[in-house]
Amino acid sequence: MKVVCLNLNGSAGGFFSFIYLGDSVVKMQSIWTKLGKRLILFVFMIFLLSVAVFYVARLTPGDPLQSFFGDAMETMSTEQLDAARERLGLTGPIYLQYVRWIAKVCKGDFGLSLRYKKPVSQVVGPLLGNTLILGVTAYALVFLLAIGLALICVRYEDRFIDKLICRLGTTAFYVPAFWLGVVLVLLFSVNLRWLPSSGAYGLGKASDLPDRFKHLIMPLAVMILSHLWYYGYMIRNKLLDEVRRDYVLLARTKGLGKTEVLVKHCFRNVLPTIVSVMAISIPHVLSGTYVAETVFNYPGIGLLAVNSAKYHDYNLLMVMVLITGALVILAGMSAQFINEIIDPRMRELDEAGIKIADA
Amino acid sequence: MSGVEANDRLETVSGADADDSLETVGGADADDRFEMVGPDYVKRESAVKVATFRDWFKGKPIIACLVFTLILMGCLFAEFLINHDPSQFYLTNLNQPPNSEFYFGTDSMGRDIYSIIWQGGRASLLIGVLSTIILTVVGVIYGCLSGSTGSFGDNVMMRAVELVQSIPTLLMILLIISLMATQNVLSISFVIGITAWFALARIVRSEVRQIRNSEYVLASRCMGSSFLFRMRKHLIPNFVSAIMFVVISSVATNIGMESTLSFLGLGLPVEVLSWGSMLALADRALLLNTWWVIVIPGAFLVVTLLCLTQMGNFFRERTNRRPSNI
Repeated sequence: MKVVCLNLNGSAGGFFSFIYLGDSVVKMQSIWTKLGKRLILFVFMIFLLSVAVFYVARLTPGDPLQSFFGDAMETMSTEQLDAARERLGLTGPIYLQYVRWIAKVCKGDFGLSLRYKKPVSQVVGPLLGNTLILGVTAYALVFLLAIGLALICVRYEDRFIDKLICRLGTTAFYVPAFWLGVVLVLLFSVNLRWLPSSGAYGLGKASDLPDRFKHLIMPLAVMILSHLWYYGYMIRNKLLDEVRRDYVLLARTKGLGKTEVLVKHCFRNVLPTIVSVMAISIPHVLSGTYVAETVFNYPGIGLLAVNSAKYHDYNLLMVMVLITGALVILAGMSAQFINEIIDPRMRELDEAGIKIADA
Repeated sequence: MSGVEANDRLETVSGADADDSLETVGGADADDRFEMVGPDYVKRESAVKVATFRDWFKGKPIIACLVFTLILMGCLFAEFLINHDPSQFYLTNLNQPPNSEFYFGTDSMGRDIYSIIWQGGRASLLIGVLSTIILTVVGVIYGCLSGSTGSFGDNVMMRAVELVQSIPTLLMILLIISLMATQNVLSISFVIGITAWFALARIVRSEVRQIRNSEYVLASRCMGSSFLFRMRKHLIPNFVSAIMFVVISSVATNIGMESTLSFLGLGLPVEVLSWGSMLALADRALLLNTWWVIVIPGAFLVVTLLCLTQMGNFFRERTNRRPSNI
């Protein structure tokens, strides 16, 4: 039996219970209660987010009917317009519109896209896959490469290879992504004619994998180059601070190799930071898909979002904001969760019941 | 030179006013090969170290500063450099490659790229600086507040940031921009600054969380210091090294963001001159295969961003001079 103090009230309360239990049981319980609390919080945050976006979207100038009917609107009578407003859920005060919208969403009906005149799920569905392919591949490659490069840089700090990686990485990061894309198109599509300049696949080649891969090369290159060193540098910075700690000296004097200390000790200590950074980075990488998709005319939700915001397609925009928002909040929560498992320092306060900040 | 005099000097060396006598010993007529040492001997180095130019420049991003100053000066004194009216359409000279009259060529609307670069650089640089000021002030204050309040307040503040941050920056900027009528330099730097401080606030907050339980912060609290005092005296000095690089490089990021927005057609309109609004014509240039419209303004943009980054790097490296333990 081990003595464990557990703060049942989580982070919000000031009441502390002290429970004597086996180690594993306490861990399970604390994880499940935390998970439950976070789920409630998650639903609440999604609700807040949807309210905020709904209001912002309705406040924007520009009549949504204009984007739905286009020029045909001028020939329509007032009654017809009112009927159309009714049908699209644009009548009444905003909070009523919101209540009606949320009631429909609960039934799985996200409304009509104002621009494409189709249910939103039909518009977003086929494009979601394209963006996921691009986004997930880029995300994974960016972090794998960033961690690898950061480790190499710290292992050979201030040597030639470190300086070279830093110089190249910084240059690549600060070249604006859209300009890099345009220059790549100018070079490889317009002049050399090696790679296609736009789209996700050639005409009628949707299931042709090599063709898809060809279309992915340039958007991927742009996304990786423009995000890689942002994270690589962050990780390198953290690692550089870490290798100046005393325990590194101790490990070295005990005879451990440089690489071993770096990978097994320093990297492990920096891991919570990397996990947090990975969670924060999802919207950043998603922003990257916006630019990459717009430059290369890649049919994904990034391009769709830019267009639908331009055309005041609220229903579409709402769903997209909610999708990305849900994704990010989930990631942020799991990052916090993983961090508490990796790094006991993070829950020290909760467990010991010492809350200096509340004093 | 008699022996008596030498003895006298030795006495004064070990005496109270050792400073003066040591100088006379070394300077006047003592043998240069020897140095007088006694029980109170302190090794002296000449107070005025003659610094050579090379010493002074060492480790400083001198080339970056120089190039950036050149570009900055060129933009500030654009009137003396330009040889065409930057907002004039020279309809008889559409898509001219670089030549002796139009140094950097003309774009698809017949405007002189050389003149627009100098005139438009002002807007781009101004937007970068203004938005960074907004971003830093908001981010640091918010981060410190969140990091040092109780865990409930901290939770609420961080959830609020997460909530807003969960919308990709571009989408958020897009929503705000569509609420505003027309874009100008002030409004766009406000939009960029107000949507870019979340990352900084989170960095500040996590740094504050790590140091807020240190003894000196605790002691300061016990002595009844105000939040602003603690932020100024204990928190900011501790994390300034962590955010300095972020702040300086966000000038570059913000300039890049402005050009990205203008490229997407969401930023400054084409008639407001900036490096971004010039690059908004890149799509048309691709069809016409006129490389100078894309490459030359982009090169100016990239060089400026790289110079700013180099200067940011300088701040980071200076804070990290302790030898590595590995």
